[in-house]
Amino acid sequence: MKHSRHLSAAALTAVAALTLAACGGGGAASADSDEPIPIGVIADLSGATGDVGTPYNEGMLAFVEHVNADGGIEGREIDAISNDYAYEVPQAEELYRRYVNDEVVAIQGWGTGDTEALRTRVANDELPFMSGSFSEELTDPEDSPYNFLVAATYSDQIRAALNWIAEQSDGEEVGVAALHHDSPFGTSPVGDGEEWVEEQGLAIDYSSHAMPSGTTNFAGLLSQVDDAEYIIIQNVASPAAQLARDLAAQGGDQTIVCLNWCGNELFVTAAGDAAEGHVMVQPIAPVSTERPGHEELLAYLEEQGTDPADVTVSFVQGWYAMHVMAEGIRHTLAAGEDLTGAAIRESLETMGPIDTGGVIGDGTVEFSADSHRGSTTSGLYEVKDGQLVVLEEAVNP
Amino acid sequence: MTAVETGRHHTSYRSELRLWHTRPQFVRMAVLAVIVLTLPLLLDNYWLSLANTAMIAAIGAIGLNILVGYTGQISLGQGGFLAVGAFTSAILTDRLGMPAPVSIIGAILLTAAVGVIVGLPALRLKGLYLAIATLASQMVILFIVRRWGFLTEGQGFLDVARLEVFGFRLDRASFEQQWYMILLVITVLAALTATNLFRTGMGRSFMAVRDQDIAASAMGVNLTRAKLTAFAVSNGYVGLAGALLAHYTEILSWEKFTIDVSILYLAMIIVGGLGSVAGAVYGAVFMTVLPVVVRSIADVLGGAVPIIKNQLPAVEHGVFGLTIIIFLIFEPRGLNRIWQRLKDWFGFWPFRY
Amino acid sequence: MSTFVTLLIIGLSEGAILALAALGFVLIYKATGVINFAQGEFLLIGAYSFYTAFVVMQLPIVVALLVGVLVAVIVGVVVERFILRPMVGQSHISIIMVTIGLASVLSAIVQMFFGTNPRAMPAILPRGSVSILGGTVPVNRLWAIVLCAVVLILLTWFFQKSRHGVAMRAVADDQQAAMTVGISVRRVFALSWALAAVSALIAGVTLADVTTVEMNIVNFGLLVFPVVIMGGLDSVPGTIVGGLTIGLVSQFVSGYMDPGLAEIVPYIVLVLVLLVRPYGVFGEKRIERV
Repeated sequence: MKHSRHLSAAALTAVAALTLAACGGGGAASADSDEPIPIGVIADLSGATGDVGTPYNEGMLAFVEHVNADGGIEGREIDAISNDYAYEVPQAEELYRRYVNDEVVAIQGWGTGDTEALRTRVANDELPFMSGSFSEELTDPEDSPYNFLVAATYSDQIRAALNWIAEQSDGEEVGVAALHHDSPFGTSPVGDGEEWVEEQGLAIDYSSHAMPSGTTNFAGLLSQVDDAEYIIIQNVASPAAQLARDLAAQGGDQTIVCLNWCGNELFVTAAGDAAEGHVMVQPIAPVSTERPGHEELLAYLEEQGTDPADVTVSFVQGWYAMHVMAEGIRHTLAAGEDLTGAAIRESLETMGPIDTGGVIGDGTVEFSADSHRGSTTSGLYEVKDGQLVVLEEAVNP
Repeated sequence: MTAVETGRHHTSYRSELRLWHTRPQFVRMAVLAVIVLTLPLLLDNYWLSLANTAMIAAIGAIGLNILVGYTGQISLGQGGFLAVGAFTSAILTDRLGMPAPVSIIGAILLTAAVGVIVGLPALRLKGLYLAIATLASQMVILFIVRRWGFLTEGQGFLDVARLEVFGFRLDRASFEQQWYMILLVITVLAALTATNLFRTGMGRSFMAVRDQDIAASAMGVNLTRAKLTAFAVSNGYVGLAGALLAHYTEILSWEKFTIDVSILYLAMIIVGGLGSVAGAVYGAVFMTVLPVVVRSIADVLGGAVPIIKNQLPAVEHGVFGLTIIIFLIFEPRGLNRIWQRLKDWFGFWPFRY
Repeated sequence: MSTFVTLLIIGLSEGAILALAALGFVLIYKATGVINFAQGEFLLIGAYSFYTAFVVMQLPIVVALLVGVLVAVIVGVVVERFILRPMVGQSHISIIMVTIGLASVLSAIVQMFFGTNPRAMPAILPRGSVSILGGTVPVNRLWAIVLCAVVLILLTWFFQKSRHGVAMRAVADDQQAAMTVGISVRRVFALSWALAAVSALIAGVTLADVTTVEMNIVNFGLLVFPVVIMGGLDSVPGTIVGGLTIGLVSQFVSGYMDPGLAEIVPYIVLVLVLLVRPYGVFGEKRIERV
């Protein structure tokens, strides 16, 4: 088995090399080169999800700087080429074409829309692709052989949220409204949530609604869901905070459960008092939980003179997304292989668990040839006095 | 043999109707043809992809110019119309298994039909009122594209299969080169057809509507027919551009067809020159290359003035707006006029005129 | 009933802000014939200049407002003088496009300095909620209605009674006749742009206070088109009715039907209005001569 896998890796490498040569490219760099490792970063700094996209991007670049200051990976520095695509799929495609032309070995993307849009292309071009999108559709290597998800999928997060809600209500039927961003990112877990309620026979009356983007108030939406006891939000922090404020202003008493991209400090600061008592499902441990994996990050930030209080969970998420990718690259280089996309994919699938010091999920991220779902575990947090307080650790759906 | 002419003197109607009048014009065309045909050998894949994008944009811009530049009916609905063409062609090929050329023709016809429907209010509306009515069509079409699950099978985006024409499938290695040749043929045909359109009675009636519609109707131009045909023909081009976009980019999502796209196309024909086929092509190339140029400049200046590099999207956005303003104030007739003046300058040199 | 009241008040407040924004648009169109696609960006500039003065520079609120007005007037006059005046006599397509270009430049400037993430601003209008007929209503929404109503009344008074207002109406009626009686058309043009920018400033700041300071304000600005088309482009009462109608219709659609649909309902209303009355509900039919 192992033998054949190596063979196929070699074959893949050969194909990759041939393709590159056919394209007139410079070909793959050899194993003992000390050239920088080019990684393309497609970041949202100014688009609809820029509020969390910016710290995520900063986290990735901070990690790169940190690694390079330590002498890089096996003596080679990472050259992260980061550009803003404003959350617009066409711009992401355009950036992707530039990165392919720049002969990057891997890509860090961002949104669900662009990640899914580029899925077939990265498979054709054999470029490992990680992103801020934890859409379950991307976890199957059959369909998306080069996409890797470093944390629990949105669907696993909504399942965890629904389980928790069902536990709170002690078998009495409660209404849950899933409000989501009006995009592939938003709709990604919504259907899976509904299936989960049916499958598990949870006493939940489930409904879902799109959150209009660019609206000035959510009063209309809130009046549509005023018979639900819980509101699950799959959106980024700013609109979620606005919704929380509108909810408070209209005297609503629903509990909001924020998934991933609105489950962060930004939501708390933007919503102020209106954030109190709401709950979050977050696969990445915030800095306030003081996991061992945070120490490296905090030490680096101290050198840079950044206040750890300013570090949001999105920043940590970016840092560790890059960390996982770097581990894959390290493994490839340590094995003495040529640094190609196919080889990095092979490494990530075969290298076993990657330790994140308790930060992602249950602490480790592991991929295999059958599954690119790095983790299934999330944590549950509650907002108390403007802080994220652990409600439950390491929840699996 | 120079590359410019001294003047045009026709001795017969036939000669006036010729597409290329003079030998210098012929020489320029020949030189252009050689350059255009050797480009795929010289450019790398990235620049070829830009060339391909520019050619698709050129077809769409020619279409918009027929409506706005030649017929005087402003449209803010370009993005929505592109979406109609793109999704039609993609769905016809991928789900009904039609050959790509057939589904592209289907896309052209359907987009033209949608154009006629949107054009109906244009019979009674002018200026701002028409602009806003087309803005409404943009908003409504985009809403349908976003919400109608059928289009993307609930995914939110649509994968389009690799183009296959008469059993010939494009391969990955020379994808851009092959597309370049396909698009080059289609763009040249589209431009020639459009140029010829304005040498026919129908094309002339469009221009009469633009210059003064009441006067045109007094002269016997059927306003209803002229306006609706203009919408149909223009949208046929836009539908073609949309269909090509679908097959070329191989992925469709609503974000490719927002109001910003409508504005981008309007900017192309303003910058290129309203009411000129060549202008539409210049404008499309210019607006496609502009962001790349801005980005390269930002890369160079980024060290000295970090704000340019850090705020690149904002800078691009600002440069885009400035370009429109500068052209409108200093050369409202666009690149096409600049090119003509350049030719005149060389032609009359050393005299002023 | 309670939902109805909440939606009614919020719809009215948005409608009032919209009417104020649209009034600026109508002002420019009436006096100068320019179709200003950058009205939403004027709201944006207004909100951010006030934010800069009030939050970044920590000026007292009255001074901050004055700074905002000053910036608005300067922007309005500069735009008129350097962008629109060279365009006199161009086709309406060119004039629409130049204001679209202006819109890009203005929002790019804001984005360059402030980024796209929302900014927090301390509340100006009182916060909290009150109960009206069983519906819980945010207090600042009520204040927003009052504020906009006062400004709208002041502006209407200005047009009807004041010397400058009468001059503006004269220019709107007939430029040449206005010139012959000694009205400076240039000054009136500048005044219209300045006033439009100031009304946009008030609308922008109010909107930012009931929501947040962010780029989305521009999208709200796009809604002035359905409003002015309903109102008929040259009628002040029409604009107010148009603003309130659009505000209420989209709020009720959002509350009782589909919040996503609410975003395009103004445009559907607009098309319906145009089909029945091509010159808007309150507009006058113009007779064209060749």
